[in-house]
Amino acid sequence: MSVLNDFLNGFWNENPVFRLVLGMCATMAITTQAINGIGMGLAATFVLVCSNFVVSVMRKIIPEKVRLAVFIVVIATFVTIVDLVMEGFFYEIHKALGVFIPLIVVNCIIIARAEAFASKYPVINSIADGLGMGLGFTISITVLGMIRELLGNGTIFGITIFSKSYQAFLLALIPGGAFIALGLLLGMMNKINEKLGYKG
Amino acid sequence: MGKLIIIIMSTVLVNNFVLARIIGICPFLGVSKKTETAVGMGMAVIFVITLAASVTWTLFTYILAPLNITYMQTIVFILVIAVLVQFVEMVIMKTSPALYQALGIYLPLITTNCCVLAVSVITVQLSYTFIETVVFALGTSVGFTLALILFAGIRERLSLSEIPKSFEGTAIALITAGLLSLAFLGFSGLVK
Amino acid sequence: MREIIRLVTVLTVLCVLAAMALARVYEFTKDPIVNQRRLAKLRAVEAVIPEHENQPDQDTVTIDIGEGNKRLVYRGTLEGQITGIAFEVSSSKGYGGEVVAMLGLDPNGLIYGIEIVRHSETPGLGAKITTPEFRSQFKGRSISNTKFMLKKDGGDIDQVTGATTSPRAIVKAIREGMEFFNDHKDTITEDKG
Repeated sequence: MSVLNDFLNGFWNENPVFRLVLGMCATMAITTQAINGIGMGLAATFVLVCSNFVVSVMRKIIPEKVRLAVFIVVIATFVTIVDLVMEGFFYEIHKALGVFIPLIVVNCIIIARAEAFASKYPVINSIADGLGMGLGFTISITVLGMIRELLGNGTIFGITIFSKSYQAFLLALIPGGAFIALGLLLGMMNKINEKLGYKG
Repeated sequence: MGKLIIIIMSTVLVNNFVLARIIGICPFLGVSKKTETAVGMGMAVIFVITLAASVTWTLFTYILAPLNITYMQTIVFILVIAVLVQFVEMVIMKTSPALYQALGIYLPLITTNCCVLAVSVITVQLSYTFIETVVFALGTSVGFTLALILFAGIRERLSLSEIPKSFEGTAIALITAGLLSLAFLGFSGLVK
Repeated sequence: MREIIRLVTVLTVLCVLAAMALARVYEFTKDPIVNQRRLAKLRAVEAVIPEHENQPDQDTVTIDIGEGNKRLVYRGTLEGQITGIAFEVSSSKGYGGEVVAMLGLDPNGLIYGIEIVRHSETPGLGAKITTPEFRSQFKGRSISNTKFMLKKDGGDIDQVTGATTSPRAIVKAIREGMEFFNDHKDTITEDKG
């Protein structure tokens, strides 16, 4: 039960994007298309699960004083693996995400989970936590990508939704639009939570 | 020389990291509640980014590239940045307690500032020369500081106004940042 | 002291393990990556030249363009005859930095097609340069029948979109490419064998 809870936690209660407001750079920069959201989300999920796993396994032997350095090395290793594998097998999406792949290293979500969760809890729970957080992140940024792609280009995942005569709403695609769209989404989530009686 | 000027204009205004490329958002949202702290953070960032980019460029060009292990770049860069930040912190603490008072608390935060790593990665990706790298790093960090201070100024005013409850905090900050980013779009035609 | 030795040992062991793991992954992905990069380039070349039967990246000419810069020219052939020539042109005058395009010509120096290889323009605004509407207007143009400037600047090219900076940058890159071809036409079309 508690493993399930750890998994579900990342989805809504502590959704990294909308509740904790972490990992913002990738969230806004690459979500001009829904497919980029999936690519970035899954890459980050892989790194998150792996680093949570390794950190949790080593949690008893990591010296307190150098724990951040250890986390960074572990995370950077998995990020490099993702980077290489994506370039080798998913070239197009690798090209679209560009510099934001190495930047997964400094995505606050991953180091925050290593510090706050994986270094304290057993392996199974840590993997569940990594999966929950990772998928919560993936879904959030994919939804944002879908909204921006639909408004800005009239398509979702490259499939035309609005007919050709649709006058593209460019604001959705430019960086300024990313900030505004996310701000509006956050405000809406707060409103929903208010109605549901959650505490913000 | 012309290229250097273009790099400066481009990094400070047109392709401002925070507002146009959306890199370095966490500290941008995190330490922008007061102008004073924004200035402190900005100075620390300028210092660290310029130093880190010079070091990582040198390491990449003279060690990683000749040894054909450029795939180690992410690990090496982030470790260099982490060590450098620690080192800078110690040096400042020993030599200038006044400066340490001003910058001290911001330094540890910089390790996870994506701007630093991004500058290191981008400069080697574009195969810049050393001078271009330094100028790029300087321009980027000045651009970051500029955006941070402007944003902090707006947020100070914002804290005095009435905002719908569900938009308080991050939500309204993001929308404000969006408007600022749109304003910066106006610089687009500048580099021709 | 013992504490420090322990810290250093843990970190060193970890870094060595990380480096070993990465070296293995690198070995595993090296060939696919090289292959992908080649395919990406080849796709761009093949999209801009007429019918051919060879692998254009196996038939190339390298031309010195001064200041230590070289330009790689791809050639497509059919039954021993050169049918198309392609090379990259670039300009650093876009908003977001460099714009790189693959320019394809037929042996007479008429443009057959262009592909945008890399651009970091604002999606939606400058990125209109990647649309077929913009790119297709170059077909059949050559340095003798066209003034490679935007209509707005007194040339023959329609900018298609409201934004002018990116189209201007790409048109300038193409103009330089056409001049380059004109200057080196004989070397490029010369038979290597």
